[in-house]
Amino acid sequence: MTDAIAISNAQLRFGETAALDGVSLTIPQGTCFGIVGESGSGKTTLMRAVLGLQKLDQGEIRILGKPLVHGRAALRERASFIQPIFQDPAASLSPRSRIRTLMNEVGTVLREPHAATHERLAVILGRLSLPPGVIDKYPHEISGGQARRVAIARALLMKPSILIADEPTAGLDVSVQGDLLNLLQDIRRSQNITLVVISHNLAIMRLIAENAVVMRAGNVIEGGEVGSLFGSPQEVYTRDLLAAWPSIRAVNTKG
Amino acid sequence: MSGFFATLKRIGSERDGWLGLAFTLAILVFALIGPLVGPDPNAIDIKARFAAPELAHLLGTDNLGRDLAARTSVGTRYALTLAVMIVVISSIIGSLIGIVAGIAGGWVDRAVTAVFDIVNAFPPLILAFALIALYGKGSATFVLLVTVVFIPQFGRMARARAQTLRNLSFIEAERMLAVHPVTIVVRHYLPNVAGPIIVLASMNLPVVIAFEASLSFLGFGVQPPNSSLGTLIKDGFVSINQSWWPTVAAALVLAIATLGATLLGEALRRVIDPKSTGAR
Ligand SMILES: Nc1ncnc2c1ncn2[C@@H]1O[C@H](COP(=O)(O)OP(=O)(O)OP(=O)(O)O)[C@@H](O)[C@H]1O
Ligand SMILES: [Mg+2]
Repeated sequence: MTDAIAISNAQLRFGETAALDGVSLTIPQGTCFGIVGESGSGKTTLMRAVLGLQKLDQGEIRILGKPLVHGRAALRERASFIQPIFQDPAASLSPRSRIRTLMNEVGTVLREPHAATHERLAVILGRLSLPPGVIDKYPHEISGGQARRVAIARALLMKPSILIADEPTAGLDVSVQGDLLNLLQDIRRSQNITLVVISHNLAIMRLIAENAVVMRAGNVIEGGEVGSLFGSPQEVYTRDLLAAWPSIRAVNTKG
Repeated sequence: MSGFFATLKRIGSERDGWLGLAFTLAILVFALIGPLVGPDPNAIDIKARFAAPELAHLLGTDNLGRDLAARTSVGTRYALTLAVMIVVISSIIGSLIGIVAGIAGGWVDRAVTAVFDIVNAFPPLILAFALIALYGKGSATFVLLVTVVFIPQFGRMARARAQTLRNLSFIEAERMLAVHPVTIVVRHYLPNVAGPIIVLASMNLPVVIAFEASLSFLGFGVQPPNSSLGTLIKDGFVSINQSWWPTVAAALVLAIATLGATLLGEALRRVIDPKSTGAR
């Protein structure tokens, strides 16, 4: 089976800083894949490159086997394969549009009658425990946690086969973090989505990811199956990262 | 529309804003209702020429005995119509051009900025004479001229806002969903650019009113049989030795209109866009 995402030798500089310094990795379809690393290690930059929001200086990215190309036609096609959940989901909802309008836009892109969109949306909202009434609100009228789930709902409405979530649990209560991760995991399994989770929090990787890579200064320094990667890390850096995160004893949702 | 009334209320709660609102309202009533209830502005009555203000002629009469209150209110209506038309057209065109330049970047952006610079490099009066030479004098030329002169101001402001918006998550989220670029511009850029643009538009209204008056005073703006504040001041000026009323009446209305619009624009800026300094 082709890989969901294959990156080879991705390089990108911002002036003096090498945000990506030759990253290569492959993410198999249908799995949950983790990208960890300290702040500034290039995680978000890598995600933006994969989404086509950021052009690489060098290297190649393939999504479901297709090389990433820029331009509107390619973007339209890619949108149905891969959807992001941004680091600050409240900021990813257009402030002067009702949620309903934002959801209808997805239907329009898919050339789907609004009724059909809303039928699917109702199921997704229920799944995310969002009250049906949220769609008549403006983004500033809902809570941060709701905004995050609305952003997820909107991404799911696009029926992507790959979902990339940048720090999906940042700013959430520890109790709610687990719920959200379980939810993402559920959705991934039931819809056979490839889930890429970006975080500097190793504990959540242990909870949901099957495979992960560790990034440092724009490089992948270590990678593999999560159990062995974090069980017996080879790199000092990974050990340091691990030490920074006391393991959370929660129900293991993997499997 | 509750936002509209809330804004009005906040403007009215400041002294300057209250004055601006009152002046503007008075001018609006004068310009919009005056022509409906007043006497015929073109009725000639030679016997009553150069009459001082009296009950029958609230602002007196001109050299042909025409009622000055009626003529001034029609002139004000004409001046306001032109000013609003110009500001609306130039702010919409300017915003769209600015947003597109801000989004596109690269050579599109450089070309648009260069054109803006070129247009603004000419003093408006020089540009006015060039356009009048090309298209002849009259209201149409005037509208074209001032619209062209004002587009870069709106364009620059919209461009700067668009450049900021372009990198925000919600615009990137729209792009990632492959929402049509026209929808993104109209639904997600425009409303987020509108606040400062509306403020700039309201601050430009008095500028346009005064500019129109000066061009018309010089005889290059509004042409007879239409009359605007500028032509009224000019007509009064010609016979100022016989009577100073016509000039003073029109000049007073011009002063109240520009002062009111300026104060209102300033107050609107403080309410809608408190961060900006109002500098162009
Ligand atoms: N648009 C940009 N312009 C200049 N430098 C940038 C830009 N985006 C990122 N960088 C730099 O690239 C490096 C990687 O940043 P990136 O945002 O990818 O890190 P990150 O791993 O996502 O960090 P965090 O965990 O804090 O979100 C940093 O040094 C950052 O300062
Ligand atoms: Mg980041």
